[in-house]
Amino acid sequence: MSFNNFAEQFPVVFSALNSGFLQTLKLFFVTLLGSLPLGLIIAFGSMSRFKPLSAVTRVIVWIVRGSPLMIQMLIIYFFPGLVLHNNIWGGGEQGRFIAASVAFILNYACYFSEIYRGGIQGVPVGQQEAGQVLGLSRSQIFFKITLLQMIKRIVPPMSNEIITLVKDTSLARIIALQEIIWAGQAFMKGSHGISGQIWPLFFTVVYYLAFSGILTLLFGYIEKKMDYFRS
Amino acid sequence: MKKLLALIMSIMLVAAFAGCAGKEDNSSDYDYIKEKGTLVVGITDFAPMDYKDDDENWIGFDADMATAFANELGLKVSFVEIDWDNKVLELDSKTIDCVWNGMTLTDEVTSAMECTKAYCNNKQVVIVPADKAADYQTAESCKSLNFAVEAGSAGKDMAEENGFSYTEVKDQATALTEVAAGTCDAAIIDSLMAAAMVGEGTGYSNLTYTVGLNDEEYGVGFRKGSDMAEKLNEFFSKCAENGEMEKIAEKYGVQAALIK
Repeated sequence: MSFNNFAEQFPVVFSALNSGFLQTLKLFFVTLLGSLPLGLIIAFGSMSRFKPLSAVTRVIVWIVRGSPLMIQMLIIYFFPGLVLHNNIWGGGEQGRFIAASVAFILNYACYFSEIYRGGIQGVPVGQQEAGQVLGLSRSQIFFKITLLQMIKRIVPPMSNEIITLVKDTSLARIIALQEIIWAGQAFMKGSHGISGQIWPLFFTVVYYLAFSGILTLLFGYIEKKMDYFRS
Repeated sequence: MKKLLALIMSIMLVAAFAGCAGKEDNSSDYDYIKEKGTLVVGITDFAPMDYKDDDENWIGFDADMATAFANELGLKVSFVEIDWDNKVLELDSKTIDCVWNGMTLTDEVTSAMECTKAYCNNKQVVIVPADKAADYQTAESCKSLNFAVEAGSAGKDMAEENGFSYTEVKDQATALTEVAAGTCDAAIIDSLMAAAMVGEGTGYSNLTYTVGLNDEEYGVGFRKGSDMAEKLNEFFSKCAENGEMEKIAEKYGVQAALIK
C-alpha cells in the first residue's frame, strides 16, 4: 500500500465516501421505515388462527429468511425485465435504489416478524386473561397490555438485527447501488484521478463503526428507559 | 369478519406476486428508445473512456461519443454505473440500452449482444513488479508465474491460451492489487488501462507492463437483435469522415488506438 499524495487524495476520497455513506444511510432508514410496520403485519399473519393465512405467511418467511439477500436483490431487480418483459425499475440510479429498498424491506420485515412474534408470545398469558376479566376487547388487550411489554422484550434482539442491517446495506452494490463500499472500491480501479488505492476501502470501516456506535448507545438508552416495566 | 380480513390479506399476498406481469414488445429497439426519449448507457468508472470530471459529469472518449450519438438521434443521454459482471443481464432486462465502456469484442460478448464494428485497438499485457520486469519479457518466460485475471475477461482467455496458471478475481483493479500485495506474481489487463494505472506517477508505481499477448478491439454492445448497432456503425463512419472522432480522441489521448 502506498501513501504517496495522501494529503491531496484525502479530501477527494472523503467527499466521495461521504456521498456513498449518504446512500447507505438512505437505504438504512428507508428499510427501517418500511420493515418495522410490515414486520408486525407479517407477525400477525403467522400467528393468525386462520390456517391458510398463517401457512402462507410462514412459507414466505421461510423463503425470505432461508435464501441469501444478495440473490433476492438480483431477482427483484432483474426478474421483471428479463422474464416478464416489463422493466418496472426504469433505467436510472433511482430505480436501483427502489429495487434495493424493496428487497431490504421484505427481507428485514421477515426477520423482524419473528422477533415480534417471540416478543408477543413471551408476554405471560395471565396478562391477557387479566385483560379479558376486565372486559377489554382483543385489540384493546394488544395495544394497552401486550404491546409495551413486547417492546421491552424485543429491544435487545432488535438492536442486534438493526446493527446487522447497517452492514448488510453493502450488499446493494450487487445491483450497482453506489453505497459506501462501492465508493471506496472505485479508488482501486481508478476514479476522480486516483487509482490503485485500497486505503479508501479500508477507511469505510470508520463510518460503519461510528454509526453502529451511535446505534449501540441509542439502544442502551432505550433499554434503560424501559426499565420501569418489570415482568 | 376476522376470517374475511384474513382471507383478503392472503389474496393480496398472492396478487402481489402475480401483479407485475408485462406485455411482450414487438417494436424495434430504436422505436422503444425513441419513445422513452433517453439512451441509457451502461458504464463503469474507466478513465480515459468513461470517468467523472470535477463537476461530477461523465466525460471521456466513450462518454463524449455516446453524447454525440444521442444528440444525432434527438435523444437525451443518461450514464449509469453498472456491475460489469451483470452487463448482459442489465441489457436484457432493459435497465440499460447499451454497454459503451471500452468493451473488448470477445466471443462471449458478440454472442450475447448486438455489437458494433470495432472502433478502437487494444491488447492484453502482462503486469509484473518493476524490479522483476527484465526476467519476463516473453510469454514463454511468464509460464512459471501465478497470474491474477479478471473473471470472464479477455485477459483470462489469454492466460488460458498461453497455458498460464491463473486465479480469477473480481475485476482488473483487483488483479493489480493482487500483484501489488504479492498474493499473485503477475496480472493480465488491458493496455489502455495499464497505460493509465501502472508505472511512474500512478497508484501502482512499483508495477510495470511487459509482454503484449494479443491484439483486440473495442466495440459497443446493444441488446441482441437491436437495430441500434447499425445506426451507431453509420454514426461512427460519419464521425470518422468528418474528423469529429479524431478530435474527441485527441482530447483524451487515445487517437493512436483509433480504428477508422
